[in-house]
Amino acid sequence: MSAFLRLLENEVQIVALLFLATVYLFRVLWILRFEPTRERTQPAGSEREGITYSLLNISMPWSMEAVRKKPGFYVQFVIFHSGVTAAIAATFIIPYRPELFQKRAVVLIFQIIIGAAFVVGLIRLRRRLKVPAVRLISTPDDYFSLLLMILYFAAAVLAVPNRFQAAEWPLILFFGLTAFFLIYVPFSKISHYLYYPFARYVLGKTMGHRGVFPIKKANEETAFGPPEK
Amino acid sequence: MGRQKNESPPALKSPLETNSQEKARAANLSSVAEGRLKLYNPQADNVRKFLDLLERKINRSLALSFVACVHCGLCAESCHYALARPDDPTMTPAYKADQIRRIFKRHKDWTGRIIPWWVQARYPRDDEGLNFLKNIVFGTCSACRRCTLNCPMGVDTAALVRYTRGLLTELGVVPEGIFNVNRDQWESGNQMAVTEKDYLETIAWARDELESETGIRGIEIPVDRTDCDFLYVINPREIKFDPRSLGDAARIFHCAGERWTLPKWGWDMTNFGLFSGDDRLGAYVAGNVYQAAARLRSRRIVISECGHGYRSTRWEGYNWAGRDQTVPTESVVITLIRYLRQGRIKVDPVKNPDPVTFHDSCNITRSGDLVEEPRWVLRRVCADFREMEPHGRENFCCTGGGGLLSTPEYRPLRLEAAKIKAKQLQATGAKLVCTMCHNCVDGLADVIKHYKLNLKVVQILELVSRALANGNVQS
Repeated sequence: MSAFLRLLENEVQIVALLFLATVYLFRVLWILRFEPTRERTQPAGSEREGITYSLLNISMPWSMEAVRKKPGFYVQFVIFHSGVTAAIAATFIIPYRPELFQKRAVVLIFQIIIGAAFVVGLIRLRRRLKVPAVRLISTPDDYFSLLLMILYFAAAVLAVPNRFQAAEWPLILFFGLTAFFLIYVPFSKISHYLYYPFARYVLGKTMGHRGVFPIKKANEETAFGPPEK
Repeated sequence: MGRQKNESPPALKSPLETNSQEKARAANLSSVAEGRLKLYNPQADNVRKFLDLLERKINRSLALSFVACVHCGLCAESCHYALARPDDPTMTPAYKADQIRRIFKRHKDWTGRIIPWWVQARYPRDDEGLNFLKNIVFGTCSACRRCTLNCPMGVDTAALVRYTRGLLTELGVVPEGIFNVNRDQWESGNQMAVTEKDYLETIAWARDELESETGIRGIEIPVDRTDCDFLYVINPREIKFDPRSLGDAARIFHCAGERWTLPKWGWDMTNFGLFSGDDRLGAYVAGNVYQAAARLRSRRIVISECGHGYRSTRWEGYNWAGRDQTVPTESVVITLIRYLRQGRIKVDPVKNPDPVTFHDSCNITRSGDLVEEPRWVLRRVCADFREMEPHGRENFCCTGGGGLLSTPEYRPLRLEAAKIKAKQLQATGAKLVCTMCHNCVDGLADVIKHYKLNLKVVQILELVSRALANGNVQS
């Protein structure tokens, strides 16, 4: 392995990761600078249950009508984000547990997951370009972030076999992109995963307090009637 | 002739009408003189003021709704405007929210401040830009919160819409209809400018009518009685257009042997502060109700059938007024459940033989806590209750929510979007559509008339009153 690749896989990644963590810290502080709302009413439900429901909402595709109507969209979501997880995992496995990728089966699993995410990325890009409603709301950041992800998945598929003896360029591309990602992500839409828990927490707290979350079906009447108010 | 693909609705081009504002200025109304009711000033730097207000009024949940959107476009699947106009991308909730989001990003977000074009961040250019924003938030969204519940990220677009409305209301960049109701609530304490004399006379008339109609002697509609079980607050529509509703409530309360009262002041539980986004107006109107309950030492506040009134009085009002809730505050539907459970009234469902379906008010179902409760009552007072699809938390807006009934300039678009509701209603095969909201009564009646549906709108109190068994009087 060349000294450049070793540096890129290790020190460069650590510095980029520290940069990401620092910027994220500032982002969180920035969010916390906005005043929270204070609820002064007596509850009709449980805030804790509302928050839990809201945070787990993403794992309950049946809970949102929009997702029920478009199950394929949810499947794409799962594949895409599994690909992201696998690619991120690869950035740690390659420098710190390279023996894992000496097993052919493990490499194949990673390549299938990340490859599927690559295909989903292309489908999403097509949707963003084709569906007028999505095209209208798309910003250069949306397109660039998606293109970057697609490229990243492609690089990850090539990098996970970790055959630096044969050719270093797939690894250089993959880790170069990773470093770029770590620096670019906090300023892009990709940072949505940082906001996700905050946004869902706040919504869940309000909706839980009011008894809207967890969402009840209209026919959940018991022999004793509706819940006491 | 069919609509052309991707053609923006004319509603987005509605100019800012300020005739009523000019009249209010000329009349030197106290609310104007005291700075509570804001008027449009074309000479002012309104964009600057808008940005200052944006900075001052933002809170954490709004900030998160600004930054968390990933532009997935899934919200289009849940919005009745977007579903009714599938070829018009400007109806997508994310697009509507983006009109304020881009200003937030330009003003507050790192990337938006440094490279605004990258995230399409920009300031409104001038007052025309603010007027466009007005048409988006007042004219293309009923703030039903359907998209909020269907957003994977938890973005509360309805809250962003209300927030933007509030900023524009502060500048007088507001539809004339909304301005007029704001003015009436500030000036008279109720949204239909009902005078105290008219209020008391209508109550006396409703009582006499009720007595002669039912033959029940000694029926009362008390006003300003102290130490009652509850203070009953109503929608001014019940005084001005539909005293039957108040009569139905009085009859039921009488049969249940209830000790209740209306207040002489603070009886309007509707609240245009919710629709206009004006928290101070919201606090004032809701505060009137809370003060009336305290003044009359009522043990609870019971809210008549009204969606936004329930939300404003039960939920938002305490927060707007900065007042901790100490008095139980409930919908009249909960009161009815109590009567039925305790056997204080007896009902016969055979008296309501026609098939009935139930329309959920957005403000009660998605911003409040009542889903099963009205159904529990309806199953006991109607012989044939049937659900519409979707229902409950997923029900569609009557299309008259969010103050849209007061804005005739947006009516054609609203009725076009109402085809979703019309289809939903028609599919039930019901003869009656019941709702627990006066606003929805008017909204649904408009839909029924426009789409020529064979349906009649009723309310829960009406059906319960009709189902009351003979010899029901407790007191």
